[in-house]
Amino acid sequence: MRQRILIVEDEEVIRKFSRVQLTKAGYEVFEAEDGEKAILQLGQHRFDLIICDIVMPNKDGWELMKEIKTSPKTRDVPIIVLTAKNRDSDMFKAYDLGAAYYIPKPFTKAQLFYGIDQIFGEHREPQNDIDISNQYDGADESVNEGKP
Amino acid sequence: MEKLRNQNRKKIILSLRWTVIIVTSYLILLDKGSITEVGSYCYLFVVAYILTNVVLTFLPGAWFSNLKLFYFLSLFDIGFVSLGMYLSQMVTTTDFYLVFFLIIILASISRNYKLLVVISGIIALIYGYLLYLWGLLGSESGVGYALRIPFIFIMSCFYGYIVQTFLKEKKRQFAVSEGKFRALFEHSYEGIIILKDSEFKISHLNREAERLTAHRRGDLVQRTVFDLFRPWERDKALHFLEEVAQKGGGRTDSLPLMRKDGTPVEVDLSIKRIDLGEETYFQVIFRDLTSLRILEKKIRENKRNLEAILDGIQDRISLVSPDYQILRVNKAVIEKHNSGYKELVGKKCFEAYYQRSLPCEKCPLTVTLQTRQASSSILRVPGLSATEQIFSYPISNEEGNMISIIIHYRDITQEQQLQEQLIRSEKLAGLGILTSGISHEINNPLSGVIGMAEIGLEEDDPFQIQGYFKDILNCGQRIQEITKGLSSYSKTAKTNEQTLVDIQEALESSLKMAQMSVKNRWVEVVKTFQPVQRIEADLGEIQLVFNHLITNAFQAIRGDRGRIILSISSSKDSVQVKVGDNGIGIPSKHLKKIFDPFFTTKTVGEGKGLGLNIAYRIITKYEGTIDVESDEGSGTTFSVEFPVRRGQE
Repeated sequence: MRQRILIVEDEEVIRKFSRVQLTKAGYEVFEAEDGEKAILQLGQHRFDLIICDIVMPNKDGWELMKEIKTSPKTRDVPIIVLTAKNRDSDMFKAYDLGAAYYIPKPFTKAQLFYGIDQIFGEHREPQNDIDISNQYDGADESVNEGKP
Repeated sequence: MEKLRNQNRKKIILSLRWTVIIVTSYLILLDKGSITEVGSYCYLFVVAYILTNVVLTFLPGAWFSNLKLFYFLSLFDIGFVSLGMYLSQMVTTTDFYLVFFLIIILASISRNYKLLVVISGIIALIYGYLLYLWGLLGSESGVGYALRIPFIFIMSCFYGYIVQTFLKEKKRQFAVSEGKFRALFEHSYEGIIILKDSEFKISHLNREAERLTAHRRGDLVQRTVFDLFRPWERDKALHFLEEVAQKGGGRTDSLPLMRKDGTPVEVDLSIKRIDLGEETYFQVIFRDLTSLRILEKKIRENKRNLEAILDGIQDRISLVSPDYQILRVNKAVIEKHNSGYKELVGKKCFEAYYQRSLPCEKCPLTVTLQTRQASSSILRVPGLSATEQIFSYPISNEEGNMISIIIHYRDITQEQQLQEQLIRSEKLAGLGILTSGISHEINNPLSGVIGMAEIGLEEDDPFQIQGYFKDILNCGQRIQEITKGLSSYSKTAKTNEQTLVDIQEALESSLKMAQMSVKNRWVEVVKTFQPVQRIEADLGEIQLVFNHLITNAFQAIRGDRGRIILSISSSKDSVQVKVGDNGIGIPSKHLKKIFDPFFTTKTVGEGKGLGLNIAYRIITKYEGTIDVESDEGSGTTFSVEFPVRRGQE
């Protein structure tokens, strides 16, 4: 089963090339243009990775991350923060909120895939084989491991 | 008055007696031939009688008001005329006339009717006795003579009655008119004292004079007026009175009177000399000035206080008339212009202060003269590098007419320099915020360029590659837009050039700039722009104003139903810009303070509380206005108005 990635990004161009690159790499790619749409997607599907922008209309990346990390269903899904707000303080904030990786914009394909490899290197086990309760138990641990 | 009456009485008595003397003497001398042996007595009688009246002529008039003299004269005349009748003897017709004359004299000069009746009775009896002596009663025509006795009595009573009635009526009329004048005198609101003769003795005083001096009337009459002055002021009072006594006319002086208890009472004395016949009177009229003096003192104190306040103010303050003439200046003006008070007062303000021949352009006084309202303006002092803020406030009299204008000059050179610095630093700070916002704005399309190029390199389908190139081009153009805006912005941050600013352009670029630095940049922005005139200003400053207002609007919006309304419109001589939002609004208790420096409701780090203050400073610098309307919970609208000068565009 292909791994599912949700790209949450208001910039259409970024969504477009990321989709092309990730699809070519064999991932199943879903898109959301803002935080609220992402929540809808998260309610409908199960994802292995979320790539999330920060500055977005309706619901920004910070709020989205908070919701993902507080919901039992999604708290274990690793998040890569992708943002043009490339101040150090933003990076720290991202990791504090539970991001697994941080990629500052502008970024290259190599940077993106390095980040994804970092995640999936640590989370090799296919997520769909773990039942909800197990996922629930190991949640805190996995998040902590995700931290640098 | 009294003296005049005495004089009249004297004249009447003397002339009546002269008549009696002449008639009596004539009658006696007419019979001289028949009584030769006693003729010498007759002459003696006539001379003696004339002499009595000559003596009376030299007696003082006042004696004639004395009843004793009157009774004495009555008895004396009765005796003398009776003697005359005796001397004339037997002249039957003559004696009757003599008696009749006597009756007339008595009736005329008598004041007492009862006395007249008694005297008439006595005369009638004497006459009867004389007739008996002469043996006329026993003659053939004795009855005719006897009838004369009651006739004399009745005639004198009747005549006396007529005279009395006439006199009474006269007296009554006199009493009425005297009463009127006395009432006027008594009830005057001014104290009146009548002095008599050169000794200045008090002869009359009215009620108010009694009240003011606290003396009783009886205590003052016949005392000299100087007793009413304090000892060390008596010479002064004497000097006033003597001057009036010598030169006549009158004079008014301010000299306190002394009350009975020795305390002074402030009065204005009007002294007038009044000549009545030979007598000289002085009328002294005075009014109580105590309350007036207290008021004057208060006014003087207030004046001193005001002067002290004015002089204590370090700013220059002038009072000028509506024709620009300086009426009064404070110490700061004198020091600034290195001149004297008297040299400045009376000159035109523009001549004295700015060496001009015409009022200054933009002078607030000119505005105040037209509008009757307070006004202010900022003037660059010609020839000096100073800047002054000038306020003018109209002063009206009770009828509402403008009588003078207060002009308040403040040297704001330093303040202006500081303000310029503040605005400049704020522009640079804005640039800093902008730079971080811009890096975000650029990084997004830049990511697009890199990402699209990368997938393009791996793509074989030329149709797809063409699409990627289009995307790359779009991203590149977006970056170009941003850097263009940035360069214009950084330029305005550094220069202070005044150019003709397109308000719409400034508002749009400010919106873009604000959107880069706020979180909720996707809030709907409604624009209603009318074409308006350009205004002469520093673009950077105008953008700073708009940026602060728009940023605030974005920050006020919570949730996703936000909307910002930007509008531009114009009227005859101004351009209006409105920045409205439907955000949280401003609590009414904060509305008055929002333009104050360092007033903020934001947390530390979010805002310094300078944004609106700087906006206000910039707007007032361009003589514009800024207003705010806000309802807590439903939104806020800031309205900015810039004046457009004629001859522009």
